[in-house]
Amino acid sequence: MKASRNWSWPFSIIILLAIPLLFRDNNYYLHIFVLVAINIILTASLRAIASVGQISMGAMAFAGIGAYTSAILMKKMAFPFFVAFPLAGVASMIAAAVIAYPFVRVTGIYFTMLTLFLGEVIRLIITEWTSMTGGSSGMLKIPSIGSFSLSGINVDFIHLVPYCYLVFILMALSLLFLYRIDRTQIGTTLEAIEKDEKVAESVGINVIRFKVLIFCIGSFFMGLAGSLYAHHLRVLNPNSFGLFPSIYIMIYMVVGGRKKFSGSIIGALVLTLIPELSRTLKEYQPYVFAAVLFLVLFLLRQGLVDLVERIETLIAKGLGRRIERA
Amino acid sequence: MLETKGLTKYFGGLCAIEDLDLTVRKGEIVGLIGPNGAGKTTVFNLVTGFLRPSSGRIAFELKDIVGRKPHQIASLGMVRTFQLTSVFQDFTVVRNMQAASHLDPKVSFWEAIFNTAGYRRKEGEIRNRLLRILDFVGLSGVRDTVARSLPHGHLKMLCIAIALAANPRLLLLDEPLEGMNASEVNTTLHIISEIRKQGTAILLIEHNMRAVMTICDRLVVLNFGREIAQGSPSEVQNNPQVIQAYLGDEDDAAELEEH
Repeated sequence: MKASRNWSWPFSIIILLAIPLLFRDNNYYLHIFVLVAINIILTASLRAIASVGQISMGAMAFAGIGAYTSAILMKKMAFPFFVAFPLAGVASMIAAAVIAYPFVRVTGIYFTMLTLFLGEVIRLIITEWTSMTGGSSGMLKIPSIGSFSLSGINVDFIHLVPYCYLVFILMALSLLFLYRIDRTQIGTTLEAIEKDEKVAESVGINVIRFKVLIFCIGSFFMGLAGSLYAHHLRVLNPNSFGLFPSIYIMIYMVVGGRKKFSGSIIGALVLTLIPELSRTLKEYQPYVFAAVLFLVLFLLRQGLVDLVERIETLIAKGLGRRIERA
Repeated sequence: MLETKGLTKYFGGLCAIEDLDLTVRKGEIVGLIGPNGAGKTTVFNLVTGFLRPSSGRIAFELKDIVGRKPHQIASLGMVRTFQLTSVFQDFTVVRNMQAASHLDPKVSFWEAIFNTAGYRRKEGEIRNRLLRILDFVGLSGVRDTVARSLPHGHLKMLCIAIALAANPRLLLLDEPLEGMNASEVNTTLHIISEIRKQGTAILLIEHNMRAVMTICDRLVVLNFGREIAQGSPSEVQNNPQVIQAYLGDEDDAAELEEH
C-alpha cells in the first residue's frame, strides 16, 4: 500500500498537467475531461457521506442547489465566478445543515428513503420556482467562468486549456480536503460509527454530531461541483438533478470501490469515459455500461480499485523476480 | 465517584431495577453480582445513559447525569464495556484503539485537514499512549491483526483496552472474564488490579465467584432488581439472603460455598 502511494501521487499530477496540453486541439475531449472532474468531486463527496454508513439517494439535489445558486448569482446579480463558486458550496451546505439534524437520526434504508424523497422535493422546487430558475424549460445563457485578473496577470477562461487547468485545480483541492478527512482521526471516527454505533457511543463519540458534520461537508463539495457544472454546460435543467443522476453517482462509487479513497476517482473516471468512448456504438451504449457494471460486480467485489491493486502486485512480483535474477 | 439514589427502571409493567442505592468510591473495585436476570446489565445501561431511569438520581463526580447521552457520559470519564465483545470487528487492533482514543487531547478539525506540525506531534503522542496501553494488556504482539480473527481471550482483552483508550476514571466492566480459561482469568485479574493502582475505579459484573471474591473491595448483590446485600466479600458470602438467592442456581451456590 505504501508503494502505491509513492507512485500514484506524482503520476496523477503529471496526467492532470498533461491532459489539457495533449488534447488542446480537441475541444470535445476537453469537455469530457471537465465532466469527468465534476463527476469525481461528486463521487468523492458521496463516498464521504456514505463513510458513516448512510447511503444518500438525493446526492444530485445538493449539486442542484449549488448549480442554481451559482448560476443565479452570476446571471442575475453579476457576481464574479470566484465569489459565486464558494457561495454555491455554502448554499448547499446550509441546506444540508437544516435537514441534517432530523435526517441523521434515522439509519439504514430509512435514511436512504428520506434522501430519495428529499431529492425529489428539491427537484420539484427547482421546477416550480419558474421566476428564479426558468422551471422545466431550463435556465439558459448562464455566464461562463469569465476572466480573472490579479495585479496585471490576466487569464481568460474562455480558452479551454486554462479553463481545464482551473477545473483540475479546484478538483484537486476538493479531493485533497476529502482525502485528509479520510486519512486522519476524523476518518477513523467516521468509519467507527459505520461499523458499530453503540460501541462508538460507549467510547464517547458523538455519533449525531459527526453524521451531521460529514453530511454538511459532503454537501458543500457537491455544491461546488454543481457550480462547475452550471458554468460548464451554461444550461441547467431540473432533471439533471433528479433521481437517475443521483443513482449514477452511486454506481460510480460502488463500481470504483467504496473502501478506498481512490475508488471514487477510478469509478467516476472509467464510467464517465466509457459511454463517451463508445459513442460510435450509439444505441448499444447502455449495454456497454451495463456490461462493465456486471463484470465489476461479479469479478471485482471490492470495485475497480481492486483491479488496480492486483496489477500493482503483479508488477511488484515481476520486478522482484527480475531483481532476483540480476 | 458514582452515586445512585433510588434508581428505578420499569420496562412496561415489569420492574427491572427497584430503588437501588449504589456507590462507587475513588480507587475502589466494586463487584455487582446476582443470579441471571437480576438486572445487573440494566444498571450499567442506566448509569451510562443507554437507558433512561424511570425515577431516581445518578451522580458522577457530584454531577447529575440523568438524561445525558452515552457519549457525553463517556467523555466525563465513565466508560463501559459490553457483555458481548464490544469491539469494531473489521478494524485492526490498533485502529480499534485509535477510534476509541477520539477523546484525547483535542485535535482541531482544521489542524487535521492541513496536517500541521502540531497535529502530527499530537498524533504521535496519542499513538504512543495507545501502544503503551496495548503493551500493558499484552496485545502488542497482535496489534495489526483484524479484531474478527482474534482468539476469544484477546478479544475480551481488547474490549478493556478500548475502554482504557477513552481515558476513564471509572471503568464499568460487564463480565470481562466470561469464557476465559484459568490462566487468562489470572492475567486479566492482574491487569484489572493494575488499572486500579493507576487510579481508575472499577465497577464489575462477573459470574466467576472465585475471581470476584479475590479482587473486589466491596460487593453489591442484586436479585430481581433489588439490592439484597452489600459489604465485603466475606460478609456477603455468609449472608443468608444471598445464599438463598443463589440456591435456585446450584452451580453458583456451589461456587459461593467453596469460599
